[in-house]
Amino acid sequence: MVKIGIITDKFHLEHKISEFLKYLKTKAKVTIYIEESHILNNYNLKFEEDLFFVKGKGKIIIALARLIENETRIPVINSPRAILLTMNRFLNSTLLQKAGIKIPDFSFIPYRYSPPFEDFIVKNIIDQKKYKFRPIIKKNNGHITVFDERAINEVDSEKENYRYFYYQKFIKSKWEYKVYGFGEDLFFYKQIPILVNPNKMETRKRIDEIEELKEISLKAMKIIDLKAASLDFLKSKSGEYFLTDVNSLPNFNYIENGPKKFADFLISQAKK
Amino acid sequence: MKIGILSKRTGFFTEKLKDYFENKGHNVKVYTKENLCINKTLLENDLYVMKSKDQIPFVYAGYYAEVNGIPVIPNTEISYKHKNRLEAHLLIKNAGLLSPPYYYGTIESLKNNLKDKDFPLILKPINSSGSVGIKIINSINEIDEICAEANEILYLENFINGTHYIVYFIGTEICTLEKVPLENEHSEMTKVDTSEDIKTLIFKWKSKYNLLFGHLDIVKETDSGTLYIVDSGTFPQFVNWKCEGDPVSKIANLILKKYEDLKSKL
Repeated sequence: MVKIGIITDKFHLEHKISEFLKYLKTKAKVTIYIEESHILNNYNLKFEEDLFFVKGKGKIIIALARLIENETRIPVINSPRAILLTMNRFLNSTLLQKAGIKIPDFSFIPYRYSPPFEDFIVKNIIDQKKYKFRPIIKKNNGHITVFDERAINEVDSEKENYRYFYYQKFIKSKWEYKVYGFGEDLFFYKQIPILVNPNKMETRKRIDEIEELKEISLKAMKIIDLKAASLDFLKSKSGEYFLTDVNSLPNFNYIENGPKKFADFLISQAKK
Repeated sequence: MKIGILSKRTGFFTEKLKDYFENKGHNVKVYTKENLCINKTLLENDLYVMKSKDQIPFVYAGYYAEVNGIPVIPNTEISYKHKNRLEAHLLIKNAGLLSPPYYYGTIESLKNNLKDKDFPLILKPINSSGSVGIKIINSINEIDEICAEANEILYLENFINGTHYIVYFIGTEICTLEKVPLENEHSEMTKVDTSEDIKTLIFKWKSKYNLLFGHLDIVKETDSGTLYIVDSGTFPQFVNWKCEGDPVSKIANLILKKYEDLKSKL
């Protein structure tokens, strides 16, 4: 029986992966490493798993994944590099833009500086914690500005030693497109943008594959080294798709039979 | 040439480096957390010097420059990995060298798993070099005394009993100083001859990561004579450089030469 290690935290274990684990345990021998109770020790690194799945973005989770990656040949999904890149919006924006993927213009500047765009959204810099997106929206003279409350909290926090804002040019779009990727298997959805209707699942519907989104999604996943991802797109008035967010922890519960499909995908990726 | 220096401060080594480059005819701008905007305006420079290694904004800026084809010296990845203690351990291990055992976990898990025999341990901030925030913990009970939040994550490292050194290297020159354990680079130190085992270690480290200059904090364990690397840095202040010559000009010239080498390869 294939051996799968799950590196996660209490929150994901209790709220996000129970159905997935129930199915996975019928197909694989599962070991669970929980952030809150695990201690990393650089001289105690023996692993017998055939694959590790990382469900979480905590510091210990990433550090353990990084140690496994450095010390063994066991596949880790997603890789620590991929998780760090998706967590750090500025870094993945830089990389994706350079690779020719259309993303909204962005700028990373000290928070006291004037906004670089007339219409913009300020997003949190490091997307690591579990609390949700809470937008503060202002409309003035035909322009829209959005601040993610988390971005303001980051700047105000005494724990962080930086005072910066990540600005992304605002793209007005009728729909928000969401692509889930498990390897090369993609699942396409659209919904009313979350800024218009915060209850994203209320309007979400499955749609047929869009060739352009497929091409961009697979390219972005390859560049960032993501084996599992969810990607958000907006479509401008001129019909261009802009990649606005990349997430290394896709919620497979939103896909029909998602937990089973994802577990089968993981097993297929295990060390042979 | 236009040179950008990514630095927390405008004084000290950064100021001297700026003056040296300017005297050589280069245009130099120092970017601190107050004036560093990471966008297309950064692309006007030909070269960046990464003096400070805070992920935000300096590593971000270095990453942006490199992705856009502008060299950064020391390079962004190696600077980031020196700054993060867990990554630094991997650098040391991957170079075939030794670092002390460490434990990394929440306060609760550390308290539940560590035994009295594991102490003393040294508490170190995860993202820093030098001795800022370093404390010795002698028992499990002391963990609670020093940490306010129970869900805080701590990095604890075994204390190696031995002789402590800071070893600077610039090009092929090595300057070794004996220091009081856990004291920082600015404390009083005594210059000593560089032993053969330290020399071998430094050249191994330098060549593995293609470093022009930097420093290692090394402890020679009293009982075994084994060398452990307990801290590493890509760009120290060199305040205790008690060897021949001026470190500023040596380093500036190495950077300029490296830039010319990189340019000729393009």
